[in-house]
Amino acid sequence: MSLRIPCPHCGNRSVHEFVHGEVRQVPDHLTDPDERDLDLAFMHDNEEGVVTERWFHALGCRRWFEIRRDTTTDRIIERRAS
Amino acid sequence: MATLLVDGQRVEAQPGDSLLVTMLRAGLHPTGGGCLCLGGDCPNCLVTVDGVAYTRSCQVPARDGMVVRRDHLGGEEPALLSDEPMSAGNAAPVHHVHCDTVVIGQGDSGREAAREASDAGLDVVTLDARDGQHVTGVYPGPLVVASDQAGRVLHVHPRREIVVATGAAEIQPVVPGSDLEGLVTGRAAAELVAAGVGLGRVVAVGERPSELPEGTLAAHVPIGQDGWKLVRFEGEGRVEAVVVRRHADADATEERIECDTAVLGLGRNPRNALARMASDLPVRVVGSAAMEPELPACPREGTVCPCSGVTVADLDGVWERGFHEMELLKRATLAGTGTCQGGVCLPYLRSFLLERGGRLQPAFTARPLNRQLTVRELAAGAHTAVTARSPLHDEHLSLGARMDRAGGWWRPWTYGRNDDEYRSVRERVSLGDVSSLGKMTISGPDAEAFLERIVPTKVATIRPGRCRYVLMLDERSYLLDDGMLCREANQGGGDRFFLTSTSGGSGFFELWLRDWAEAFGYDVRILNHTASLAAINVTGPQAARLLARAGARALPAFGLHRQVRIAGVDCRVVRLSFTGELSYELHHPAADARTLWRRLLAAGARFSVQPHGLETLLRLRLEKGHIVIGQDTDYDSTPRRLAHDWAVNLDKGDFVGRQAILRTNKQPLDKRLVTLLTDDPPPRETLEAPSAEGAAIHDGERYAGYVTSDAGTTAGGRRPMLGWLYLDAEGNLPREVTVDGRAARRIDGATYDPEGARARAAVDLASESSENVPEFPVARPEATDLAAEFPTRPPRLRRLEATRVSATPAALDAVVAEPPWPAGALAFRTASDELLVTATPDFEVDGDPHAIVERETAFSYVWLDDATAERFLDRESEWRRPDARPALGQGEVAGIPAKLWFETGRTLILTPAPFAAAFQRRLTGSLAEPDGATP
Amino acid sequence: MNEFVERQMKLTWRPPKKSYDVVIVGAGGHGLATAYYLATRHGITNVAVFERGYIGGGNSGRNTTIIRANYGIPAAVRFYQRSVDLYRGLEEETDRWLMHQAKGLLWMAHSEAAVRAERMRAKLNTEFGAETEFVEPQEVQELCPQLDIEGGGRWPVLGASYHPQGATARHDRVVWALAEGAMERGAHVHQNTPVEGLILDGERVAGVRTAAGDVAAGAIVSAVGGHVSRIAAMAGLRLPIRSHRLQAFVTNHYRQQLGPIVASSELFFYASQTARGEMLLGAEIDPQPSFSYRSSHDFVQDVCRRALNLLPFMANLRVLRQWTGVCDMSPDYSPIMGRTGVPGFFITTGWGTWGFKAIPAGGEQMAELIATGEVPELIAPFGLDRFARDRTMADRGSAGTH
Repeated sequence: MSLRIPCPHCGNRSVHEFVHGEVRQVPDHLTDPDERDLDLAFMHDNEEGVVTERWFHALGCRRWFEIRRDTTTDRIIERRAS
Repeated sequence: MATLLVDGQRVEAQPGDSLLVTMLRAGLHPTGGGCLCLGGDCPNCLVTVDGVAYTRSCQVPARDGMVVRRDHLGGEEPALLSDEPMSAGNAAPVHHVHCDTVVIGQGDSGREAAREASDAGLDVVTLDARDGQHVTGVYPGPLVVASDQAGRVLHVHPRREIVVATGAAEIQPVVPGSDLEGLVTGRAAAELVAAGVGLGRVVAVGERPSELPEGTLAAHVPIGQDGWKLVRFEGEGRVEAVVVRRHADADATEERIECDTAVLGLGRNPRNALARMASDLPVRVVGSAAMEPELPACPREGTVCPCSGVTVADLDGVWERGFHEMELLKRATLAGTGTCQGGVCLPYLRSFLLERGGRLQPAFTARPLNRQLTVRELAAGAHTAVTARSPLHDEHLSLGARMDRAGGWWRPWTYGRNDDEYRSVRERVSLGDVSSLGKMTISGPDAEAFLERIVPTKVATIRPGRCRYVLMLDERSYLLDDGMLCREANQGGGDRFFLTSTSGGSGFFELWLRDWAEAFGYDVRILNHTASLAAINVTGPQAARLLARAGARALPAFGLHRQVRIAGVDCRVVRLSFTGELSYELHHPAADARTLWRRLLAAGARFSVQPHGLETLLRLRLEKGHIVIGQDTDYDSTPRRLAHDWAVNLDKGDFVGRQAILRTNKQPLDKRLVTLLTDDPPPRETLEAPSAEGAAIHDGERYAGYVTSDAGTTAGGRRPMLGWLYLDAEGNLPREVTVDGRAARRIDGATYDPEGARARAAVDLASESSENVPEFPVARPEATDLAAEFPTRPPRLRRLEATRVSATPAALDAVVAEPPWPAGALAFRTASDELLVTATPDFEVDGDPHAIVERETAFSYVWLDDATAERFLDRESEWRRPDARPALGQGEVAGIPAKLWFETGRTLILTPAPFAAAFQRRLTGSLAEPDGATP
Repeated sequence: MNEFVERQMKLTWRPPKKSYDVVIVGAGGHGLATAYYLATRHGITNVAVFERGYIGGGNSGRNTTIIRANYGIPAAVRFYQRSVDLYRGLEEETDRWLMHQAKGLLWMAHSEAAVRAERMRAKLNTEFGAETEFVEPQEVQELCPQLDIEGGGRWPVLGASYHPQGATARHDRVVWALAEGAMERGAHVHQNTPVEGLILDGERVAGVRTAAGDVAAGAIVSAVGGHVSRIAAMAGLRLPIRSHRLQAFVTNHYRQQLGPIVASSELFFYASQTARGEMLLGAEIDPQPSFSYRSSHDFVQDVCRRALNLLPFMANLRVLRQWTGVCDMSPDYSPIMGRTGVPGFFITTGWGTWGFKAIPAGGEQMAELIATGEVPELIAPFGLDRFARDRTMADRGSAGTH
């Protein structure tokens, strides 16, 4: 076991039960300029610190939820209702 | 009395002996020399025990029949390969323990910490090396991994705290002769004396060993006090004398003190590696493990690192050449990289660097493993990835299929008759198992709006009863997957769609849909049917006739789908075509798959029906130019590059990937996936070795791409291929190229039936005689009465007959509060918006007109009694189980997703049917494994 | 006495100057190789390499030391083959023992799809100058008699691609030899000196702000691994990079008995025996971004389980040590080398899990770019601008592997 992810429905589980995802940015494809799209599609802040991210509990309830995690320590800062 | 074999020699052990003590009794030093600590801190007692090298003999109890080899004598390396026959064998059993606090080490401070925690009402687990529990690492989780006396691997999961009370290690000598026999630390000497091992004339050097009985010592030299220094040990093989010097200056007189054993008291260093490797975890270090390290004097001569054979001269050499950082010193000499992980050398490396560089450098990073478990032990509790089985798996095997892993599923690759499999599709009729396709139902007020945003095809124009091929793109407009989208006939409940993905995409499909649905904020219900529904593709010119013989009264026209009862099984029949022939895809409850498959084979006998495997399918589709995701596509495959612009509607409004298409369309096209036909068919090559895949395509001298698909020469003597073709400098796509030096021609469209007339053929079922169509009994499903079933021995999984519901959380709350299903049915709330009920699907969810209520036959279940459940789950499930009863738990068990229903006295396990066979194997295997078996 | 104690190399440390022609950020393999090739190929020696820790302490000291060129796209095959070739000559060129051993690499296939993929790899490699052939199970067994060709009954080997030039070398020694070669020609390497900022002169990056003071430079190269986004942000750039953990472990050392490097992309692991005799195993990256260097138990647990299917002889070996590196992954699994759009600022990143094998070629090419001002043909496809140009270098064959 390594990282434990707190699923709001099922409880703490090994990271292997989950699929990692990011908070989707919903661009307006009808009006967004190319540069913004390129940035959204490819570029990352790649933050060293606390990030907000989504996890899908693939081996459990099969639902997404959001947490905040410190990428330098992998500590889960808080769980957010999704 | 236990008898052991050491290097072939019989050695008697006394009760309570460690292996080391037994060997020392017999006058055998395990490694031929070096100071022994008996505390697991040094590498000087390593031996091979029952084939396992690098075993610390001081930490292993002597057991009858043990086969011991001194493979580490004089720093020799043991063999990589064992003489024993190769077999991975079973992994050691793992045992999961949940607690509040784990205390590592049960000396005074460890016992005290455990008592305090216990008194505070906490659930405490203690681990102690003297009880055979060796902690290998402290990990995030938090998780403490240890081996135990019984050969098990313990995974301890503390909720609150890890207390490290591992004490201190005694500093080893680094002087010439420190690799002789007859050197022991103070604690080791006391233990050996207590065990009755003869030490001869004993001289203590340094601190007076307090635990030695009165009268043991012949002499004592207080190193460090009164200017005494340890100079060297002298002797041939075994120490014969300790040489010390009174004064610091070099020419002071040396004193030689004769002895048979030298007992070293050179100071102590905290055993804090476990604490150091877990600095960001809730770890508390107590007792002497928390002490400040005692730095020994900088060594002058001798071996600093016995594991890697590093001398003081080696350290000096690399220091002189610029290696001044602790990590560089370590890497340049390999000091500290052996079994004891710096246990011996680290204090000396620090004092060396302090003296040379004037700067006290921190210890090098502590990394697991603190105690080295074997690969077999470490693998405990792990399972390799499980491959899903279609409900027709055994049917394929009985028809002689060779199964192959593809996209996470076992698929029939070939039934061993490739040519006939091919011809049965092209000339007669054939069955293909496509149960592994991803399948999803989507309903809700926003279902259409949502799908418009998700696929690049216009959804609004897919009328009820119609279906369309769709792409799924990511934000970069790269192709993720493809499938078909069917709009269901309006049933008053609003829009409802059925969407498929490829087999390989079925894993990501659901999460991708849910992710976007939530990101857009659409009000939709999504139900994953991938395992619930089996699917059989009936394909070939006689497909409709076969289905008519199987009792189909009506069939959809091309591009349509409808519900049809076929051979007594209710199916959603979708008419599109991947093979290029008249094709009907029959989606039906997984539990009915075997019945349907057998009845279809029987009904098709008069047409010489023959199932086809994946290999044949890949060949059939190639003739139609259909792509296979992952084989023909790469990460950068846009619809334009794939020549699939026709499946993209840029005018319909926004969808995922649209902006990227607009953006990249401004760049010149660089390559395109094309169909190539070799002009000059080579002599027929064996189908087993499709040879051109990966072959370079040349446009004259120019490298112009490579072949992604080639299924060999097909029946018409033609050889179509798919491949990536790069545009030339002028931006043109060449027409004439070479593949592996053979001329090939780029063609537009399919090589087989380019007009698609065969797939779209009109069908007149009315002309089919309904005579001789047998009566097919229709099985009315009865829900599994779980409440009435009880644990059996041995436990066997069975298929569950139930219903799955997707509806709003509020509607499900209401339905659970006042169940519309018969009393006694069990309802499992698997998610806030999903329910699994052991009832038939003949009820409504009043609170949600968009609710999806479907028969569910894709779970297998088994009841376990409490004792069996505990035994199994303690081994195969690392997560903490709920305390309440009844309660639902979901998560990984034995490497497979499972749903657990805990009642008082019994536990129900549900697992997806595609994994049921694997789960049964693991359940049986795990229960058969004795507790604490030694491998 | 052990034969692996370093007895040849000499590192020379000098105090930093106020100004250099070229400043390189990061004294790992890529940074030091750039300095080495600037000095040896172009005579540019007024160069400083700044390192926040010790040389080779990042991914250069945490990788699994595999050298190979059997990639999945032409540009990558050419580039890595150049690196394989440079590696083969590096011991002679530097006159240092780098423990370079060509041992061959077997990439196993356990399914028909994987057989296809390995056949394709062999063809593509051959076309672009890397030696790879597809071998049938029996030949796999001959090349590696220790392998259980039946895969424990569950993962039978249906074939493999064999890459005879697949090699390993001692990672630390490669780093040190390059450092030494650069240092002895006058380049400076400054350890324990983190770069804390970039000095901008209008649009242009004109120097670095370090823990030891400001340093001016004509050209600045980021050769940072694991934290490149931080350096890029100093130049106002967002990169197509996410950082992920990659773990590995070694057993104790045993007598040399395993010949080739053994890899399986379906069981997700690879194994080799080091010059010192340890079995060294690695696998895929963690899927979520992270900068944590903490090792996990499940990694060793899973990889041991998978490896036992093919290498059952490992059952009784003891695992000695595990560790973690942080890899900078690009969206197309290919490196990013060259200009950045910010004048004076160059970048070499996206080294994912394949940085070690690229060290000589990466350094050589970056040095040529800086020395000549022209983007060398070999790395032209790997520029940062490829994302805007819709020319990503998608390499499925290298995704998530060693």
